[in-house]
Amino acid sequence: MASTADRIRTLVNENIEVDGKPIDLPDDLDISLTEAGVPSTDVVALTKLIAQEYGVEFTPDQCGELNTLKKVVAYLDNKSG
Amino acid sequence: MVIHVDLRPHTAPMDHTAPMDHTAPMDHTAPMDNALAWLDHAERARWRRYRYERPRREFGLCRAALRATLCARLGCANEELTFETSHHGKPFAVVGGARAPVSFNVSHSGTPGLTARAAAGRIGVDGENRATRHDPDGPIGTVFAPAERAELAAARGTGKIDLFLTLWTVKEALIKALGLGFSMDTSAFEVPPALRRGAREATFRFPHDPVVRWRLNTLGSASFAGAVAHELED
Repeated sequence: MASTADRIRTLVNENIEVDGKPIDLPDDLDISLTEAGVPSTDVVALTKLIAQEYGVEFTPDQCGELNTLKKVVAYLDNKSG
Repeated sequence: MVIHVDLRPHTAPMDHTAPMDHTAPMDHTAPMDNALAWLDHAERARWRRYRYERPRREFGLCRAALRATLCARLGCANEELTFETSHHGKPFAVVGGARAPVSFNVSHSGTPGLTARAAAGRIGVDGENRATRHDPDGPIGTVFAPAERAELAAARGTGKIDLFLTLWTVKEALIKALGLGFSMDTSAFEVPPALRRGAREATFRFPHDPVVRWRLNTLGSASFAGAVAHELED
């Protein structure tokens, strides 16, 4: 089974673009989507997809507080661990 | 008052020998160097953290425009103006160590950027590019109330995108005005039907706080949709 980091990377690559191009995600996923220029509509949509994919409660507000994808992965691993 | 900030790249040469007057009204089409001169140390650090040029430019230009308009409104020098944030991250202005008597809000994810300012009453603003890739009937639709989702499901073509953006920008302007962000359940209140039918202005009351009235305005162009929510004083 793919790791949480790989699944999040796939979700982002399949659903998020900035200026019509995929985001260049760093290996450690230490990146803030907001500071990468992703609009709030996309962040909220991704949050809903993550909640659906993992079957956990994951709100846009939590996503904002976690700030980076790396912290989102840690949060999801902690939830399922 | 809503200021539109031109966020397009600017290639005009800059006169680096000209003195900078931080109390003068800002030319919002000036190059990034001009805008950066308005930012304080922390804001410049934040500006540098942006990985991509466009959002970096958008943040820098909007923050500089905000500083210029607040300095003009408050009659203070740029160096006297600082920002602090509420629990959910909504910034407020501080001058001389005291909270300044002004409400403001900024949106820099659309084209143009939007800066809203009011002497009294909470205010929120949101702008989004119309070139959205979202399926309004997809998972993102759960941020809307059941009646709003039903209207979205029935809408077709550009009307569907227009309705989606009206619902989204009005709700985001309202939750930004409250300073709560998406910690608030945006499906628990409905955008006034008049706005959903294309009106540009309406009043609104939250179901959980019906005493407070809000004035809602939609704005925009062929390229972007936006909304402003301003708390009315009775």
